[in-house]
Amino acid sequence: MKPLMLHGHERAITQIKYNREGDLLFSSSKDNKPNVWYSLNGERLGTFNGHQGAVWCIDVDWMTTKFMSGAGDNTFRIWDCETGTEIGMMKTNSSVRTCNFSFSGNMAAFTTDKAMGHNCEIFIMDVRNVDESFSHADPILRIPINGPRVSAMLWGALDETLITGHENGEIIQWDIKTGKKLHTTKEHEHLINDMQMSKDSTMFITASKDHTAKLFDSDNLMLLKTYKTERPVNSAAVSPILEHVVLGGGQDAMDVTTTSARVGKFDSRFFHLVFEEEFGRVKG
Amino acid sequence: MAKKKVEDKNSHNGEYIKNEGESSSNEEEPNFSDPEGYVDDISNEDLLGDLLRDKPKETDGVESVIVVDGVPQVGPDRIEKLKSVINKIFGKFGSIINDYYPLNENGHTKGYIFLEYASPLHAIEAVKITNNYKLDKQHTFLVNLFTDFSKYDKIPEKWEPPQPQPYKGQTDLHYYLLEPDAYDQFCVVKAPGQGQSVQIWQNTQPDPTLLEDRQTWTHTYVKWSPLGTYLSTFHKQGIALWGGPNFTQYKKFSHSLVQLIDFSPCEKYLVTYSPVVEINNPDQKRIIIWDIRTGQEKRSFNPDAPSAWPIFRWSHDDKFFAKMGTDILSIYETPSFGLLDKKSLKISGIRDFYWSPTDNVIAYWVAEDKDVPAKVTLLDIPNKAETRNKNLFNVADCKIHWQTSGDYLCVKVDRYSKVRKEKNETKYSGMYFNFEIFHMRERQIPVDSVECKEPIQAFAWEPVGTKFAFIHGESPNISVSFYNVKIGQAPTLLKKFEKRACNHLFWSPNGQYVVLAGLGSNGGGSLEFMDTNEFLVMNTTDHFMMSDVEWDPTGRYVVTGVSVWKTQVDTGYWIWSFQGKILKRVNLDRFVQLLWRPRPPTLLSEEQQKEIKIKLKKYYPQFESKDRMRQSKASKELIEKRAALMEKFNAYKQERIAEYNKQKPRRLELRNNIDTDELDADKDNVEEEIVEFFVKEEITVID
Repeated sequence: MKPLMLHGHERAITQIKYNREGDLLFSSSKDNKPNVWYSLNGERLGTFNGHQGAVWCIDVDWMTTKFMSGAGDNTFRIWDCETGTEIGMMKTNSSVRTCNFSFSGNMAAFTTDKAMGHNCEIFIMDVRNVDESFSHADPILRIPINGPRVSAMLWGALDETLITGHENGEIIQWDIKTGKKLHTTKEHEHLINDMQMSKDSTMFITASKDHTAKLFDSDNLMLLKTYKTERPVNSAAVSPILEHVVLGGGQDAMDVTTTSARVGKFDSRFFHLVFEEEFGRVKG
Repeated sequence: MAKKKVEDKNSHNGEYIKNEGESSSNEEEPNFSDPEGYVDDISNEDLLGDLLRDKPKETDGVESVIVVDGVPQVGPDRIEKLKSVINKIFGKFGSIINDYYPLNENGHTKGYIFLEYASPLHAIEAVKITNNYKLDKQHTFLVNLFTDFSKYDKIPEKWEPPQPQPYKGQTDLHYYLLEPDAYDQFCVVKAPGQGQSVQIWQNTQPDPTLLEDRQTWTHTYVKWSPLGTYLSTFHKQGIALWGGPNFTQYKKFSHSLVQLIDFSPCEKYLVTYSPVVEINNPDQKRIIIWDIRTGQEKRSFNPDAPSAWPIFRWSHDDKFFAKMGTDILSIYETPSFGLLDKKSLKISGIRDFYWSPTDNVIAYWVAEDKDVPAKVTLLDIPNKAETRNKNLFNVADCKIHWQTSGDYLCVKVDRYSKVRKEKNETKYSGMYFNFEIFHMRERQIPVDSVECKEPIQAFAWEPVGTKFAFIHGESPNISVSFYNVKIGQAPTLLKKFEKRACNHLFWSPNGQYVVLAGLGSNGGGSLEFMDTNEFLVMNTTDHFMMSDVEWDPTGRYVVTGVSVWKTQVDTGYWIWSFQGKILKRVNLDRFVQLLWRPRPPTLLSEEQQKEIKIKLKKYYPQFESKDRMRQSKASKELIEKRAALMEKFNAYKQERIAEYNKQKPRRLELRNNIDTDELDADKDNVEEEIVEFFVKEEITVID
């Protein structure tokens, strides 16, 4: 298995996402230009220029027409995928940490950090028709979070719920229509780095700094499985074809190249979904 | 009279205070007494033990009086002289506040006197020391406490035999030796401080089983007794010994703030050492020797100079133990715990000594002093006869290594060719090294010499056998040399390995196999497993940041560990077979140490052992089939466990899939009736591409 190296960013990479059909790969980094690449050969299509700070989160809608990104320059921008031009922008009070398109692509949810007197908040926007007026648009729903800030976020199965992972390891499921908490669970003991849905959105896997990744049911937030490692887990994903999950982590991405391979142990580990046993590793 | 006044004053004070209290008790005071019917579950003894001891007890003033009999009877002219002699002798224990020399009708002293000290403690001390003191040929003091007389007077007429104490049966201390598959136990200590736990495991195949796991079983670390019978744990108040199948507490030894302990080789005695002087207990000696089976304190010492632990070294049969001081060697015998022949040996310049592991022989070396060369001497105990002496010239340092079977003694000598005296230190240069091998079993103990020009990193005898090995050289040119010794011959070089990255070597307890290890950060954790019968390297691997290597007592397994005392990350231990095959990797957060439980020496005689070795082929298939069955059982269990998990998950999955399918119309709605559940579900979105690729080339010759 030969890896394809994609060199396009000047600073640490913060998030990567495939589009629904899998032919394009979008990546964001602490330099302010998200990139998009062809998955087949690693050729780069182009960049989305406009942000002025580290881009923390990206997402692409299911038709691969719209692309959105949130950054540390306190803006949330929506772009046209094909041309790379910015079609809408919204200013926020603090950095945008997570963002996701809904299943239908009609709504977008994003969360902001807790900073300088402003609380962490969840925003849900209507993105059916995005133009310059987007910056003044009213959110469909705006939920302030008084407790630990949101560090990861997912849409529920039918765009009826939102699932957020927090700094202290808590996971909360919200009802979009009312803005109230439906379920809460605290299985992790530390910051949740990433959450990803399985292909059929019935389960999702969380990756946490407490050295474990956990599999939950997306309806009632019931804990199904736990995968243990000896390093903080930065991200995890469920295989769409087989009963496997993959965990990645070790250290903060920016430290990887400056420390010995042994110390960081930055490898991707493959676990069996049901047996919770590690069966393979790929060195990073 | 004086007493009464004090009492008055006290009561007066009490009244005064009470008045105060009354005046201030106008406000409601919170009630500190226990609620009604509360039963105290801790006795006063436990709560305030040491304070209660200091509770003032009623005295009638005579506890400080001693009676001295056997005093010379002198006339009035010599009474003053007698008094001054008595004062000189008895004044050592405290100030004498009162004395009474009863006189008969002639004015001569009757031969017995009364002395009163300032405190009862002084009186007790005086009795202890001066009783049976020989003043001169005709007079021996017989000293007693005054209260003793009344005590012995009041002995009751009827004597009641003491009640028999209920028998506290001992658990089987050697149960672990009867383990049918001869699996060894090892203990794992993790996390000093918070979250500390000690686990006892049994090294079963294919996976070790956990026998015991106790939180905060010890304060610092643990130690097995030399024959493996007890596990000792450290606590603030002292040491506790645990044994038996459930690791029940066997005995407790209270020695506050104990830091180091040492067992005698036959497990009869325990030496505990606490280097700090405790404020509450200033009389506590720093070294105490205990009898393990009775739990009694046998003797205690206050060492004058700090030296390497163990300060006391035991002979192999527990009969003697010795301590080295500046220019003296003190040998004590058990069970009396007194000095052998009532005095220490004066050996000026003694630097180090070691007992032979099989005989009562001490080997010690004396440093060189100006023109007198250094010397190694073998001393036979208890007759203190010097069986062998060897003079060594140009010696900077010596290290004594006994072979485990006591047949040979090796002294590693650091020799210099030039010496300089700078300020107050001697500086040696041009070092070269020698090993002096003493053949203990031959007449007159001949000595052979092996030379080595490079600095020695490590030296070790083969525990069972006649080889020894040492690591020499400076990085990166480190070599390992193996020598063989035979009766009547000089040591012969068997093999020398060059350019190895190692700084320690560990022989298997049964000999033949050796592990060359590079410990610590500069060693990189390299491991080489070697068979010394053929000098074959069986395996070369490594364990990054390895800090310890431990062989199990049978020589079948090796454990390499990374302890939290050396690094913070990646602590844990790995179990290897003696051939270097990795068996298990255990990553344990904050792992401290792993210690195998020692085994006592085998009870089989030499012939029996030889017989078993010959018949090994016969026993081999039995064990093989047992092992294979165990492996398959383990995999069968695993398969069953996995099947159960799979079933449970699939049941859950089916439910969810049913729900998912029910939600399909909703999904179509959300995405404008385009079916996106599978990539190829949407017929419109599919692009057909025709690609031609090369399959086969065939050449047909047309004629």
